[in-house]
Amino acid sequence: MDNILINKHIVELNDFVNSADNVKGSGKYLLGIAASDERSLNSNFNIRYFFGGNGGIDEYLVKVGESFQSISKICPAAKMYEREIFDLFGLKPIGHPDLRPLMLYPENWDSSVHPLRKDYNNLIPEMKKYGEYKFKEVSGEGIFEVLVGPVHAGIIEPGHFRFSLAGEPVLQLEIRHFWKHRGIEKVCEGKNFKEALDLVTKISGDNNVNIAISYLEAVESILNVEIPERAQHIRVILAELERIWNYVRDVAWIFMDIGFALPAQSLFALQEELMRLNKSLTGHRFLFNSLTIGGVNFDFDSSKLKAIDDIIKKVENNMKEFEAFILNSSTVLDRLEFTGKINKKTAEELSLCGVSARASGLPRDSRIEFPYLIYDKFNLKPVLLESGDVFARTVLKIKEIYVSSKIVGDLLFNLPKGNITASYENKPEAYKYAIGNSETARGNAFFYVMADNNGKIFRLKYIDPSFRVWPSIQYGVLGNIIADFPLINKSLNLSYAGNDM
Amino acid sequence: MSFLSKLLFKNKAQDIVSGSSDFILIKGDELKRSIDKVFGRSIFVRLVDSGSCNACENELAALSNPYYDLERFGIKFVASPKHADVLIVTGCVTRNMLNPLLKTYENIPEPKFVITAGDCPETGGPFKDSYSVCGPVSKHLKVAVNIKGCPPEPEAVISGFLKFMDMIKK
Ligand code: SF4
Repeated sequence: MDNILINKHIVELNDFVNSADNVKGSGKYLLGIAASDERSLNSNFNIRYFFGGNGGIDEYLVKVGESFQSISKICPAAKMYEREIFDLFGLKPIGHPDLRPLMLYPENWDSSVHPLRKDYNNLIPEMKKYGEYKFKEVSGEGIFEVLVGPVHAGIIEPGHFRFSLAGEPVLQLEIRHFWKHRGIEKVCEGKNFKEALDLVTKISGDNNVNIAISYLEAVESILNVEIPERAQHIRVILAELERIWNYVRDVAWIFMDIGFALPAQSLFALQEELMRLNKSLTGHRFLFNSLTIGGVNFDFDSSKLKAIDDIIKKVENNMKEFEAFILNSSTVLDRLEFTGKINKKTAEELSLCGVSARASGLPRDSRIEFPYLIYDKFNLKPVLLESGDVFARTVLKIKEIYVSSKIVGDLLFNLPKGNITASYENKPEAYKYAIGNSETARGNAFFYVMADNNGKIFRLKYIDPSFRVWPSIQYGVLGNIIADFPLINKSLNLSYAGNDM
Repeated sequence: MSFLSKLLFKNKAQDIVSGSSDFILIKGDELKRSIDKVFGRSIFVRLVDSGSCNACENELAALSNPYYDLERFGIKFVASPKHADVLIVTGCVTRNMLNPLLKTYENIPEPKFVITAGDCPETGGPFKDSYSVCGPVSKHLKVAVNIKGCPPEPEAVISGFLKFMDMIKK
């Protein structure tokens, strides 16, 4: 965290649209937009724009009244954030092309109620229909629609996908998400940092370690806690173990969705072994509650280190076989290559991150761009592929499993001695805020955390990588046949829970 | 021998997957016998995630991996509520998911049963006081069995189904 350069700028409302243009020119990309009701402090709503890339992070603070200038024409990635701010704060983004409600559904929510305003009276609108949600229309001879979800056929999370087709190829896909909107940001307000850590763990359970790392980066910076070296190492080991099991599962699903059950099931078995390792290390198959403010909750003795080493070697060996298998099998290649292509330009415009950015040729990896914990020690280079298709994303995940195994392998037998927690005083400076970054298996997890004057949370904004990447599927499927949608979707394997919050 | 060919040429799944513990085999057997007796066929289960953190779905999906292979014990996840006997609900019931949850339930033919998986659907979990959460499930549907856990591990789900069968027999 200390090594990230954050350049703070305060800009005027009307000038911001111009600066946004400049920022874009500088090669930085949108990491997130966080609105906050700070009327009690300085009689404004504050909107903070974070752009990141080479040279660190630029923060632009715009003080606004009840409306603000939309930047989505210059920066399409801003579209979803601005809709979210309109829903939750009621601040109107002027010039926004699409102001339909996002997470507060007109089917059950009164659009004059904005729960993230500090003067929201906690009254929940009666459960009844307040309005209609309009989908985009595609019409013409022979065009028909296929509606999928929110409840899907498999064991997966809910989301609504609306395809317009002419024959088999997809002309348009419109995604409606936020079925699982749990209002976590609001629930965190007024909680202390420790209580909020529990909620943060449950934003997107399968990425909980890496998400919590990002949250703790922010919180430990607010509290000025320096965590012990040993704890930093253990955090990295846990983070990479999570990445590995996520990727093993993701590759398994790719085989599953092309109807190739044998490698799929052997990878699912491998995932199970990794989950059992997690349990033997921390008592929890998903590593829930393994981190704490100031350090980690579990230390590793030599038998645990050996168990990790054994399984990491096994994963590496097995993955090499699966990789050769993908690269050399024409029937597998036939399904994966050229399917679900996300162009580099699209990836840039949408400010993608994680695997989806790297598979489309953008070298974005928060471990490298905004190094945290001890990641600057490893001299990591982003794994990059150019083709942006299902093939690229699958191979990239396999290659990154090797990188993660190497990181874990290097750390296991070089753990510094010492404590695993640092003591700290929960007395943050009033209204101090900080940001946190980490690279989850899906990409950058971003936190904006602001303390109140009592050591509790005044505002917490979290941006899940899935929130950034979901819109890109709408481009990835164009021209593909609808039968390939599940495969394209699985190649990104985004989180609905993290997106919907 | 390579990993894949090992998989292909070993005789029994158990030889590769040494982790199918006695617990799973004994409980699974018990479950299978009980389901056969009452239903005379497998139980068909439909899942609705009403607002989880996704760890619960990951565990339910893990039940199909070679370690557990739930279908061999007579429990099959199906794509349509019209085929289902049991509705499994995960998640805290968000306002946005209430309607899809109820509609899915309506579309299951009688007799039908609801099982919840995880602490969220039983209590609302840490989200229960949120403006956008209207759980727990029992507020909206009659629940036969709550399977506890955050998330419930695969073994807990198998035990949960045993509890469900005991309940049905009575
Ligand atoms: S019960 Fe726990 S694991 Fe399951 S959805 Fe709720 S928070 Fe996630």
